Amino acid sequence: MKLVKKSLFYVLAVAVALQFMIPLLWMILSSFKIDEVIYRDIGGIFAIIPRFSDLSLKSYTELLGLYNIFKNVGNSLIYASVTVVFGLTINSLAGYALARFKFPFKDGILIFIIALMIVPIEATILPLFLVVNEMGLINTVPGYLLPFIVNVMNIFLFRQHFLSFPGELIESGKIDGLSELGCFFRIVIPSSLNMYVTVGILTFLASWNDFLWPVMALSNSDLMPIQVALNAVFSDTYNIFTSHMMAALTIVTIPIVILYIFFQKYIVEGSMSSGIK
Amino acid sequence: MKKLKLSRFVQVRNTTEHYRQSNHYKKGEVAAAYGFLIPALVLATLFIVLPIILAFTYGFTDYYLLKPDAKQFTGMENFKRMLTDDVLRQSFLNTIKFVVLVVPLQLAMALGLALIVNKKFKGVGLFRTAYFSPAVLSLVVISILWTVMLNPTSGLINEMLANIGISKQPFLTSSSQAMYTIVVISAWSGCGYQMMIFLAGLKNIDNQIYEAAEIDGANGLQKFLYITIPSLKPITMFLVITTTIQAFKLIVQPMVMTGGGPDYSTMTILQYIYEYGFRHRNVGYASAITLVFTVFLIIVSIGIKRLFGEEKAA
Repeated sequence: MKLVKKSLFYVLAVAVALQFMIPLLWMILSSFKIDEVIYRDIGGIFAIIPRFSDLSLKSYTELLGLYNIFKNVGNSLIYASVTVVFGLTINSLAGYALARFKFPFKDGILIFIIALMIVPIEATILPLFLVVNEMGLINTVPGYLLPFIVNVMNIFLFRQHFLSFPGELIESGKIDGLSELGCFFRIVIPSSLNMYVTVGILTFLASWNDFLWPVMALSNSDLMPIQVALNAVFSDTYNIFTSHMMAALTIVTIPIVILYIFFQKYIVEGSMSSGIK
Repeated sequence: MKKLKLSRFVQVRNTTEHYRQSNHYKKGEVAAAYGFLIPALVLATLFIVLPIILAFTYGFTDYYLLKPDAKQFTGMENFKRMLTDDVLRQSFLNTIKFVVLVVPLQLAMALGLALIVNKKFKGVGLFRTAYFSPAVLSLVVISILWTVMLNPTSGLINEMLANIGISKQPFLTSSSQAMYTIVVISAWSGCGYQMMIFLAGLKNIDNQIYEAAEIDGANGLQKFLYITIPSLKPITMFLVITTTIQAFKLIVQPMVMTGGGPDYSTMTILQYIYEYGFRHRNVGYASAITLVFTVFLIIVSIGIKRLFGEEKAA
């Protein structure tokens, strides 16, 4: 009886796993086939189980011959990295000031930050476009990157984190002759690395996945991040081979898989504390 | 232990000291504080506050982006127009439909998955990874992949359905099925994350409570209903709030998969604003909709937080 129950449970767990894995398996496997093979196999078990005689790198070499996908992937990696570096610095500096210093209008500024947390950012994307447009920065990289460097949620998270930062550490830094900024970079950041990695990874993922804002802010295909370029390739070239499309989707997914392999713990913990996604 | 007490003492001393000299700021500290804050404050003012102000001012005009000099104050005209705009009404109803369907579906799926991988059995880590795997795909990748798989004539899903005797379905190309298809795909792609959050909640439940209940003769269902569900309440509320707000802002999936069609059946509010304001450059009217939508979302997020009480997860 117990054995029957146990095997039923396994059948259920495997059936559910297939629901989640089939699209991914099919995407990766199809990227190594040619279209005739993809559509020959499509109804059967070989759609998701490899037969090595069918597999080749043909779709990848053909795709790269038609379209240099690495250019847009590179754009996205650069944009995400710049957003992480500037975002972490600016937001954590602000959070630190709100946690540690005493200065006029401190409460007012804190309330201002908290009030901004409730503004649904994506909902105001059109007037954001108007602001950047009036600054003359549409279709430029700064115009695309600047608006999403500041993140009031992250300022608040950093403030909460720094509230419990041991003040003795900073005092000792000052005795050693460090300025406030020196203390921040030499003492505070190195001893809060966990926090920085968590917020940094989430920022990176959000920037990498971003779609709506770059559609509006960057129309030059040389500047496009990969998500926008993918959609353009998919919707503009109507007759693209399925194998080419799957190769493109697989290439775009690889950096995120790598990120998850190394940082899964941070990603899950981070999304719990900040409620992103 | 000793160290902890010491630091507490230091903190208390600091606060009393601050209290005593409440109106005397240290010059260096004030300068440092503003230096640290100014980059963030400038950016937040430019890119969060200013857009709201612009939505306010342009919402009452007939601003057409290509003729900025011809814009005129039109009073409540845009807001009156919203009341009689059939496509806007449908976009709003579509958005509500999506929220009402996707939030319970996605959370139920996430809880179900968490219950499976919370059991101790051989290969549990493998199953957890499998359930979580769609999380590595971006929304654009998910949307393109599913559009290809759901192709009505030759897609993977229809071929698989044919194996079990189900006739070909139109999915995204039918106005009666497209929105449901987007709901299922969104739940599929999002529930892995929430499974992990539920799982953390399940691991936090003290095993002794279950053992005590077993001694009292509780069966599996009773343990689930009277121990598991109540213990997960704070996490569930947190997930309901975040998922609801997120769902109201649906746009990427319909933009990539259906373009809002067929027959506006998957057009959402945000997409409608995008179409009007960005594609057709009709900034005045789209700003008015932005204004109403923003206020609506703020009311909704305050409303559900009130409704469920401000309970924090973890």
